Amino acid sequence: MGYGMVIDQQLCVGCAACTIACKIENNTPAGINWCDKITRTSGKFPAVRYEYISTMCNHCDNAPCVKACPTQAMYKDRQTGLTLHDPKKCIGCKACIVNCPYGVISVNWERPHRDWAQRDRLAEGCFSPREMVVESGGEGTPHGNPERGTTYPVVRPAGTVEKCTFCDHRLAEGLAPACVDACPSGARQFGDIDDPNSEVSKLVAKHGGKGLREELGTRPRVIYIRDYKPQRRFEPARPAGENQGA
Amino acid sequence: MNSKVSVKDFLTPTWILIAAGLVAGGAMGLYEMFFGHLFATNSALVWTLPLITYIFLALMSTGVSLVLAYGLIMKDESITRHTRALLIMAIGMLLGGFTALATELGSLLNMVWILLSPNPSSPIWWMGTLYSIELVLLFIKLVMDLKGRHGVFDLPLAWGTLIIAGAAAITIGAVFGTVIGRPDYHGAFLSVVTLVSALVSGAAAIVLLRPQSALTETAGRIFRQTALVFAALLLIRVVYEAHSTVVGMLGWASIWMLIPFILALALLQFAPRILALIGILGVLWVQYSFIITGQLVSLGQTAHWYGAVQTYQPNIPEALILVLGIAVAAALIKLGEQFLMGDQRQAAT
Repeated sequence: MGYGMVIDQQLCVGCAACTIACKIENNTPAGINWCDKITRTSGKFPAVRYEYISTMCNHCDNAPCVKACPTQAMYKDRQTGLTLHDPKKCIGCKACIVNCPYGVISVNWERPHRDWAQRDRLAEGCFSPREMVVESGGEGTPHGNPERGTTYPVVRPAGTVEKCTFCDHRLAEGLAPACVDACPSGARQFGDIDDPNSEVSKLVAKHGGKGLREELGTRPRVIYIRDYKPQRRFEPARPAGENQGA
Repeated sequence: MNSKVSVKDFLTPTWILIAAGLVAGGAMGLYEMFFGHLFATNSALVWTLPLITYIFLALMSTGVSLVLAYGLIMKDESITRHTRALLIMAIGMLLGGFTALATELGSLLNMVWILLSPNPSSPIWWMGTLYSIELVLLFIKLVMDLKGRHGVFDLPLAWGTLIIAGAAAITIGAVFGTVIGRPDYHGAFLSVVTLVSALVSGAAAIVLLRPQSALTETAGRIFRQTALVFAALLLIRVVYEAHSTVVGMLGWASIWMLIPFILALALLQFAPRILALIGILGVLWVQYSFIITGQLVSLGQTAHWYGAVQTYQPNIPEALILVLGIAVAAALIKLGEQFLMGDQRQAAT
């Protein structure tokens, strides 16, 4: 089996709920978005076209980051097909970042969430950031999601890289990635893309679609189907939550 | 070993400069490694002057090693009489490069996984492995030279150094050349550039630092010959980039880059040390240019944060890492000369 994601560009409204959900679920620090976007504007008024392409790690079958990593800190999980990262082995050489054609890997130049370690109180009687973290029982931040820590550190070490894991901690519990659940328009579908009978495979079979920069031979597992066409807007949409999940 | 060294030997302007470099650069390096982030990097532009410093010094060390190996294999006495000095130079430069690299790596303590979890498909793994082997070979040769043990192992060690050092220089180019998503890097060309630049800078360093007649003449000849090849490579690249239609390629080569090497070809006999220094700076310019240019196009989602194409200027902490790398190399070379050369200094001229 091998997980993959299909993003329907006809349904995506560019709300960035996926980006925010990912940040909350995975406790990413300021300046790092595992799920982000590429935006493209083309044409001349009135025939202007704007594209919002939600991006994240493509978990490529032929991952350049895995090939480049000298310590196998970046590796392919044989069971799930995911490209995962082990911060214990990461030397912070950043070869993965240079080799990734998609710009989806980020580096923690400093200790993440440093601001939450400050001990200064704004005023007497207030909590300092550090006290808020301690009182809330959070790790790194008051809102740190402890579930993230089951497969990947909640707060990653300084000097190491990090990237999307397709919420492998949620997949292990039979849940969909946070970005898939957060999408209000059902644009994101997730499943076993190696299974021709899965929903994601059927969508690809029906609509075609392609991954980003496929000509490089990376074999990405995030497939984009359809372009936005206004005349399709009256077609019945898939409700959010239907046919989603691992 | 020379035991006649005194404290006064360290109160020279050269040593004061070295000490200043070690302190200033060392402070920046330690802060970057343990306390915070000072470099002008971001998640789209990750390899900047500190890494360039490592590549510059490592390749220069490789060039010195290659010249020495050539001398030992061809039994060229103008080179072999200076074996110890050249070994000290090569070791000092390589360790200076490693010092700069240490400030750039994010998690130095995890380096043990290079041994415990190797990835043979990674050019960086091969680069680390080959340079480690080369360092060990250099130390073995130095110890054997210090103990006066010369004989049946000299030639195999020389050949080993030639092959390992050459492979290491090519592998540095492959670190960039195997990157498929960046057109300014991709291809075998950079492996040729790094190998030739190693020879150019290594030979030039010998001319600059070992101004004795016979060795300077041989190293000068090698410098001129490799500078000609390097200038030709740059010209090929300039012409290629001028006609390239590859999308996303900015082009890193400039016709002005040929000037240091043309000057060296034409005028080396008149001012060898100055032109050797100009040649070394020219190599640094080329290495800086291709390493930075290949990262300026923001890929994918990083364009949203940093713009489609970035610009880069090194900041003061990064410049001080360059100073640190050079200071460490200079300190080790001078220490080696002062403690390990002794009577050889007279005999070498």
